[in-house]
Amino acid sequence: MKLETLKSIISKKKNKTEFAIITNLSTGESEIFEKEKPLSKELEKYSNQINEFFKSKKNGVIDGTEIFIETYIKPIKVIIVGAVHIAQYLVEFAKSLNFEISIIDPRGYFASEQRFPEMKIINKWPDEAFKQIETNENTALIALTHDPKIDDPALQHALNKKFYYVGALGSKKTHANRCERLKEAGFSSNQINSIHGPIGIKLGGRSAPEIALSIIAQLVAETYKK
Amino acid sequence: MKNSFDEKILEEAHDWVKVNQKVVLATVIQTWGSSPRPTGSRMIVNEKGDFSGSVSGGCVESAVVRESMGLLKENKSHKKIEFKVSNESAWEVGLACGGEITVYLEQIN
Repeated sequence: MKLETLKSIISKKKNKTEFAIITNLSTGESEIFEKEKPLSKELEKYSNQINEFFKSKKNGVIDGTEIFIETYIKPIKVIIVGAVHIAQYLVEFAKSLNFEISIIDPRGYFASEQRFPEMKIINKWPDEAFKQIETNENTALIALTHDPKIDDPALQHALNKKFYYVGALGSKKTHANRCERLKEAGFSSNQINSIHGPIGIKLGGRSAPEIALSIIAQLVAETYKK
Repeated sequence: MKNSFDEKILEEAHDWVKVNQKVVLATVIQTWGSSPRPTGSRMIVNEKGDFSGSVSGGCVESAVVRESMGLLKENKSHKKIEFKVSNESAWEVGLACGGEITVYLEQIN
């Protein structure tokens, strides 16, 4: 692989774009494939098969050829509400995972760059913040403030947009109160029951890194259930 | 298909190149049976035999290191290696799990 190609792959990964690396195993040549980009002459004849792999997000060798395709898919958007202590560990654990994290917190002293270097932080109330993030059923929400003023609007947005994972921090009692408020706001019991609350799988630990680990574990499990 | 992992092997390869190391990138390109790691799994090897990442759960890494060092020594650009079911001989390199994998080695240049 040419160093140039390697650099370009790394920058595409960083920019969270969707692409594939196509390698000719007999010549050793490799090139980057993107949706709108035309293929090189040599690879043109495999265009149908390449598109097939790309669409189904598969890696592998095209049958009967020496062409290997590796697809890179867009990371899953994860929105954390609450730039709190647990969020700092979440961000740390998520570094080796394919998630694109945004942190929302209207409280400037929490959502500082010093606490979250190189992270996308939106220092706004959830209703405002969601205006600048595109969300859909492939988005996940982790609500960590356990302050109804901040968490509730985010949870409502997530339920309305059918996020595949919605988790909310808080004790059983906090969660029961939260469910009650959502019920009053008109959400169905199916919607309310889809919230993971108290958040995370049961590991037993109660420290910030342990809770972060239990949340990440649940998020990954739910990601593969989809 | 979802994918929630992002091993930073290519990024690490670039770091190695930046400090003037010769690097071989090894990628699992095909698997049959119960292979330990999926297609697309990667490891990198330098001319000293240092390596990072994995192409199996530890079964064939030593052979990949040896082959990669050979590739650098002969200054070849790429090579394919197939690993099959291991036999009973304890020192034979192979996949104890009974799977088969093909690993593609390529020099970064």
